[in-house]
Amino acid sequence: MKKNILSFAFMLLAAVFGVSRAMAQEVPHVYINPGHGGHDSDDRNVVIPPFAQGDTLGFWESNSNLWKGFALKEILTKKGYQTSISRISNTTADDLALSTIVYLSNHSGADVFYSIHSNASGSGGATLVNFPMGFYRGYTGQPVIPRAADLLGALAPYIIDNSSTVWSSPNYAIYGDWTFRPEWGTQGYGVLRGNNIPAILDEGSFHDYYPEAYRLINHEYCWVEGWSFSLGADAYFGRLDQYGLGMITGTIRDDRVERVDILRMLGADKRLPVNEAEVKLKDADGNVLQTYKCDTIRNGIYLFKYVEPGTYTVEVSHPKYFSQSTQVQVTANAKTYQNFDLKRVRDTPPMVVEYSPRWSEGDDPVLCSTPIVLQFNWDMDTESVEEAFELEPAVEGTIKWEDTNYRLIFTPDDAYDVDTDYKLTLKKTAKHGGGIEMEEDFVLNFRTTSRNHINKLAMFPEEGDQVHYKAGAYVEFRSDSLLNAKDLYTFFHIYDKDGNDVEINKRNIKNNKKGDAYGYIRLSLLKALNPDEQYKVVVDKGVSDTVGIHLAEPLTFNFTAVDASAQTTEANVVEEFESADGFSAAPSEVDGLTASVSANTDKLFGSKSLQLSYTFPDDEENEAVVNVDKTLETTFSSLDKIHLHIMGDMSFNHLNLLFTGESRAVVSVPVADLTFHGWRHVSMPLTALPEGDKYQLTGISLVKNETVMGRTGAIRLDNLLVEKPVGVEEVTANSTVKVMPNPASDYVVATADGYITGIELINASGQVLVRNASNYINVSDIPAGVYFVRVYTGEMVTTRKVAVAH
Amino acid sequence: MKQLLLSILGCCSLLAGAQQVTVVKQERLLQGVEGPAYYPVLDRTGARLLFASGVEYGLKLYDMNTGAVTPVSNERCAGIDATFGNDGNVYYVGQKINENNLIYRTGYKFDVNKASIDIVLEAQHGAVTHAVGTRGVAMRGPRKNYASARNIGTAVDVQGSNLLITVNGKQHSYSPVESYAGYLWPSLSPDGTKVLFFAAGAGAFVTDLNGKVLASLGNYEMPCWYNNDYVVAQNATDDGHQFTSSQIMLLKADGTFRHELTKSTSMSMQPTSAAGKIVYTTVDGLLYVMEISIND
Repeated sequence: MKKNILSFAFMLLAAVFGVSRAMAQEVPHVYINPGHGGHDSDDRNVVIPPFAQGDTLGFWESNSNLWKGFALKEILTKKGYQTSISRISNTTADDLALSTIVYLSNHSGADVFYSIHSNASGSGGATLVNFPMGFYRGYTGQPVIPRAADLLGALAPYIIDNSSTVWSSPNYAIYGDWTFRPEWGTQGYGVLRGNNIPAILDEGSFHDYYPEAYRLINHEYCWVEGWSFSLGADAYFGRLDQYGLGMITGTIRDDRVERVDILRMLGADKRLPVNEAEVKLKDADGNVLQTYKCDTIRNGIYLFKYVEPGTYTVEVSHPKYFSQSTQVQVTANAKTYQNFDLKRVRDTPPMVVEYSPRWSEGDDPVLCSTPIVLQFNWDMDTESVEEAFELEPAVEGTIKWEDTNYRLIFTPDDAYDVDTDYKLTLKKTAKHGGGIEMEEDFVLNFRTTSRNHINKLAMFPEEGDQVHYKAGAYVEFRSDSLLNAKDLYTFFHIYDKDGNDVEINKRNIKNNKKGDAYGYIRLSLLKALNPDEQYKVVVDKGVSDTVGIHLAEPLTFNFTAVDASAQTTEANVVEEFESADGFSAAPSEVDGLTASVSANTDKLFGSKSLQLSYTFPDDEENEAVVNVDKTLETTFSSLDKIHLHIMGDMSFNHLNLLFTGESRAVVSVPVADLTFHGWRHVSMPLTALPEGDKYQLTGISLVKNETVMGRTGAIRLDNLLVEKPVGVEEVTANSTVKVMPNPASDYVVATADGYITGIELINASGQVLVRNASNYINVSDIPAGVYFVRVYTGEMVTTRKVAVAH
Repeated sequence: MKQLLLSILGCCSLLAGAQQVTVVKQERLLQGVEGPAYYPVLDRTGARLLFASGVEYGLKLYDMNTGAVTPVSNERCAGIDATFGNDGNVYYVGQKINENNLIYRTGYKFDVNKASIDIVLEAQHGAVTHAVGTRGVAMRGPRKNYASARNIGTAVDVQGSNLLITVNGKQHSYSPVESYAGYLWPSLSPDGTKVLFFAAGAGAFVTDLNGKVLASLGNYEMPCWYNNDYVVAQNATDDGHQFTSSQIMLLKADGTFRHELTKSTSMSMQPTSAAGKIVYTTVDGLLYVMEISIND
């Protein structure tokens, strides 16, 4: 009997030892690969305040992957698994190469392989995308190792049920890596190729969704993902019922205050996470079992690990918030999420503690662009405040909230009316975030100035202008007040005939500066325009001056690109301006008036042009004169037409040529008002010269305009041509033929003693513009200028000069 | 063009030294015959080649003299870790996943002459590895082991961060290099006097049979012996997800010389070498054979 008992005991011991040994050997073995590592070039750093780029305390994917991996290893070990992990620190040396990881996995004897990652949109900045993805080797739905799909399918529900985050998509996306990365062929992810066990790569969330990056810095948030992986493993190996503890986690946020430190957020993530909240886990008797202090890294995450199943109370407190508590149920080997939206302590009525504009009777009027700013003692309920906001007279405008709803800013969409008394009433129905109304209405009065828009002083090109087509052409806008130079150029748009943007040279933008007499911006076109094509400049209404006053309406200016050199007729060149020899600035008796001439390489023809530089002492109508000391070979008469090429300086000054007749009389012929930039071809009939005399060009005169513009500048002149009335006989003096009226605007009518058989209108070049077998010509469509009319009477032809004016 | 390429490659020595390496032959293998092929393994004569066939890594045997390709196993992943024994037969590990998703691994021997497969190590849960000794082959599992001979001679294996060196049938364990993740790719020099292995996070090392480190070769993966004095290995980089470059390197076993046999942009990897031949594959599974001359 004794022997039998001993034998039985021995057999029992052997059986128990054998079974336990077998069980010990046959627990699932999980290989854990925390992706990346080393805070180096193949790591992923997301720069979020307060962490600088490269700060290893900030978000690095290698950090969060490692914390998730540590958590998973810890949890699986508690659950009785065997585990291997590819790294336990975060150095470049530990960031093992792909082939190494695969070999280690294959030779570890593991049953499954988890590669733990988080995702990035690749946008280079903050994304609004956040959802989990997982990959196995192969095509989607056709994994090379079929159980890999089962492994991923078992994990997915425990990742997507994460209620601490905010997903942009409700689904866990499952892909075969060959499908997801077709450009890689069947190479796929490096840790999956050659891996001979069910292997998956999980991208748990998007770390360039900034609220998620803040969460992933929190170790406990990563621990929860490790817990989720362990549940996925339990589900895969059929062990969900083999672990007895649970956990509680969640996110604590302000119930209404929106976060302003980052810009792109989804759903509940728009609200401020509460830093440093204290969270207590209490049992049914009120005993505190665990306490958690939320971190300061703007995520609001809390966690209680390894909690026995049962009913608990979770209590959240914070000095600036009303405490909250709620009952939660913990289930074995499951997750319990409980988020909290805390209400701030706001225990006094709201009131306006600071405001702008501050104005009283007798004060200077308020600028018509002045925003109304109200600063409150509490963060306000925006809806009730905006309903309580009344401005008389009514003004269309926009309300913006700042400082987490402590500050309201009303900005008129256009501008207040000029010379108007306004009254703002914020009715006491305005409430703060806690729901308490103001004790009394708040009233603010102000009177506006007599100016509410900026005005265009000048523009080049003006509507209908011509612009020399070469690259570097200027576009300049001037206003009656100094413009706000910040990003000023962005309000100006230049389009070609098809509506395409014409590029400006951002390195050659000139803005007004403090002390200038008027506001301006001068842009330079980067590339040449197409001659004879239409373009336009659009100036946005938002162009504003230094006090925020803007245009009343957007402005549009159509212009044509031209080749200023191609417009020259076959007239004779009489001066090429290749040298300053023969030109000299005339002395002036006006103090402060200076002028000089020089040759300049910026030319339209030849190699040089003549530059006239000047400075006027004030805005009076003074004149700077350049003497032509040499005698040109050509003389001029009233029948001539001249062509001059001028590079304008948009000074609005007046350019004249001075001619001296044989009688020594000096005649000033207006040539151009310098309203333009760049080269321009100007032609002018010399009808201002008295008839019958021959003239020499003896001077060039520049007369200051009467505005604040054009005190100083420089213009250039190139090829002066003269056009004699070639092909047109001398006006027939001894004839009875008369042409009327002169000047004409509609019809030119000829009368004669005899029968008129025909009439022609001829330009200065001798070209016949209109011919009529009658005695009249319709000149209503003929450009203004001086023409010749040739009248046929029998065998006689008579020529008369006539001006067309409209 | 090919000559130009060979000349360029011949000039890519990275350390100063008197050695001059010339690639005298470089040919594609099994072009138009086989699909993608990975994990090539040459036998000691350089006449036969094992490789993992296709994206599921079945095991095939290629006779480089006759051109015959013999399927060894269609079992998925059988070709990933196969080897030739000292007897010229093929040893590999197969695996089955049971209903509880645990993996059971079986040791197989493929008799090359009979073209027959025998189970030499019954299925067991956990890691099954093999070590090729100078006199026999050993396969080791967590519960059962196999040895083709009572004394497999001199052999080398790794287990975690332990280098297991067997001399005259007696095994010794060494940890000559610190490595948390473990040791990989152990091999014995052709003359049986030196051990080559890779320590994860530390690189490739050569030791004597007492585990004493003779040379550190650098962070080159999958090292294997070219001859008693030289080693070929893979030099790969990645971005954490996929390979960004990979090339085959020639390394002197004393650590004094290294030479690029292929360009880093060639994406060449997984070298094997024997009898003066070097066989490697590419990231998309193209097999190449290379022969070199070294002028010491």
